[in-house]
Amino acid sequence: MYASTISVALVGGEAVPVQVEAHVGRAKENFRLSGLPDTALREAKDRVRVAINSSGIEFPHRDVTINLGPADLPKRGSDYDLPIAISILAADRQIRLPPKVVAVGELALDGKVRAGASSLGAAVLSARLEVPCLVASENAAEVARVPGSMVFAVDSLSHAVSILRQQMEFDPVLADTSKSIDPDVADIADVKGQLVARRALEIAAAGGHHLLFFGPPGGGKTMLARRLPGLLPRLDDRAAIEVALIRASAGIHGVVSNLPPFRAPHHSATRAALVGGGSGHPTPGEISLAHHGVLFLDELAEFPRAHLDALRQPLEEGRVLISRQGVSADFPSRFQLVGASNPCPCGYFGDRRKPCSCADGVRSRYRRRVSGPMLDRFDLSVWVNRVEVADFREDVGESTSLISNRVSGARTIQLDRHCLNRDLNGAQLDQVAMKTVDSAAIVANLEKGAITARGAVRVRRVARTIADLNGEAVDEVHISEALMLRGAW
Amino acid sequence: MTIEKSRKLKFTLPGYPVGLFDLENPPPIYVRGELSERPMVAVVGTRKCTRYGIDLAESCGRTLAELDWPVVSGLARGIDAAAHRGMVSKEGRGVAVLGSGLDHIYPRENVSLLTQLLDCGGAVVSEYPDATPPDRWRFPARNRIIAALASAVVVVESALTGGSQITAVLAAEMGRPVFAFPGDVDRPASVGTNRLIRDGAIPVLGSEDLVAELSLLPGFDSGHVPRSAMNPPSSGIAIDDLPALWDCSISQALSRIGEAEAKGELRREGDRIFPETGLN
Repeated sequence: MYASTISVALVGGEAVPVQVEAHVGRAKENFRLSGLPDTALREAKDRVRVAINSSGIEFPHRDVTINLGPADLPKRGSDYDLPIAISILAADRQIRLPPKVVAVGELALDGKVRAGASSLGAAVLSARLEVPCLVASENAAEVARVPGSMVFAVDSLSHAVSILRQQMEFDPVLADTSKSIDPDVADIADVKGQLVARRALEIAAAGGHHLLFFGPPGGGKTMLARRLPGLLPRLDDRAAIEVALIRASAGIHGVVSNLPPFRAPHHSATRAALVGGGSGHPTPGEISLAHHGVLFLDELAEFPRAHLDALRQPLEEGRVLISRQGVSADFPSRFQLVGASNPCPCGYFGDRRKPCSCADGVRSRYRRRVSGPMLDRFDLSVWVNRVEVADFREDVGESTSLISNRVSGARTIQLDRHCLNRDLNGAQLDQVAMKTVDSAAIVANLEKGAITARGAVRVRRVARTIADLNGEAVDEVHISEALMLRGAW
Repeated sequence: MTIEKSRKLKFTLPGYPVGLFDLENPPPIYVRGELSERPMVAVVGTRKCTRYGIDLAESCGRTLAELDWPVVSGLARGIDAAAHRGMVSKEGRGVAVLGSGLDHIYPRENVSLLTQLLDCGGAVVSEYPDATPPDRWRFPARNRIIAALASAVVVVESALTGGSQITAVLAAEMGRPVFAFPGDVDRPASVGTNRLIRDGAIPVLGSEDLVAELSLLPGFDSGHVPRSAMNPPSSGIAIDDLPALWDCSISQALSRIGEAEAKGELRREGDRIFPETGLN
């Protein structure tokens, strides 16, 4: 006798349906599991048997075969426990299943259902296939935010069985939007002084420009970078769920948040941790976890050069293909890069009060650690010096909500036109921003050799964003400002 | 490096710098390049300097170069190198005094700076013959040559002990005026200069002020007065301070200085702007 339920595997930040098929035959008692399970999944046999028995139901004393299809997709984790148990009971004719049902959850030995990373994937599948889904009540309300999903919360296996026996005549869980609020957004008004850096941050938020902070320790480079997500427009539900799904495929449970993600990997992170990898199962790296958000690389020059150069292609394409034996996954990675670096190994070159203990040669070698093509990605680069005591007494600057209003205004203008200004190419720029030869300031800088032709393109992109913040056409004023927000490195 | 050989000058020979006669036993010196006969100013300071000191030393070098008052210094890291750099940037004729043989340039990172200095018509001087290695214990003795060569000594940044303090004391004993730049009382790199001021050195408030003070001294004839005190001051001004000064937004301030930079009126370094002197 045969029955099947649908469970979910997360591949490349996508929810892929997995058929959990059970067959209960007349041969002597046996329990087999096939379909490329990993160790955690192979152990599901023991958990499911005990959980069924301790729920007051009898595990069939017969020949039980479970297959997880498609059989060639490697599967892992403990979230298949609940669908396996349900399929067995249905195949044993102890319960009747609706034609299609999605279920995920890990079973405790006493039959309780624990929330796992795939709950969100189950809700996504439920919406896509238009079928009900059963997930642990722990995070049911949260995943019910997936539009079109039909989510039933279950506490335990026996609870799931009773829902199924009553043909699901319950109301599905309502979406809990209370958790969609921004968890504490750090306000930019907390940053004292640093007018230039704050202005650069506003422009970066408006045009999506990659941004580099440069300066001695204690200037607040990290503090500034952490305030960028708050300035960016909130993610819509679709994007927020996409982000949460990528997180789930990295095994991170967490709330679905409309705040753009902020990822700050340490410079000792491996290349796989940065761009993605993993043995056997493709796992998203930091660049994908920062999808729709901000990737902050503190101490940029301390990152191995090869790791940084590996970021260049994903930066260009907005996605990264991770291939492993049997599976290859295409993770989205459209992120905004913020870098920060000290000017030299001791950190104090250029500081007004502290001496720098580095020799001249050491300093230039330190800067060369970041490749030219990598530095080329940063449209904005500004110097952040340490704050003087006087700045702490100063009036509070503009708040995050004020600036983010201007930012979203500028973004609307850009999206109506083409795309974010960060992605404008030369030909598009010629249409929407001043031509290189028309700007006296750019020509003067080109003649002095202060900027390159590519630098001129970046200046015009930034000038376009500055003009968008004011709702104006690009003018010499905007070009001049853009020229001052570059070249700190 | 220039291949020109060094020549030995004894005090009996013409061209021997008169200042060195103030030393107890005027030593023979080895010279490469041209020793100017104009009044020289020693600009010295600590190797462990801050940006504040570097800006001031460079600014002094540039201003003195414009008046053709050669800067004498020790080619050490930090203040010394900054003073030489400032001089070279305006093609002034500077003098570097080494504590080693002229074939042992130390520190190595300043070799190219020394080449530029010689190309600008400056000179490099040492009392040690070729093949003398740079040993630390020889450096204090080198300082007395600096003090003697110069008609005035400016200490930019200095700790309580160190070569620049020695130079200042020796110079004072030889009757040379000693100038010092004041700094924060709690900053290690300014403790020495502040102490010098307390002990009678003349405080100077910038390179323009230094020129004003120097031109009162005998021998310092100023051919022309450098361009008047500019806005911004030669030690630079933080961009972050501009909106308050000009009563405008940061965006307006940035575009104003961007325009000025394109016209060559100022230059930007890190988070500060400096006047671009001598371009017109």
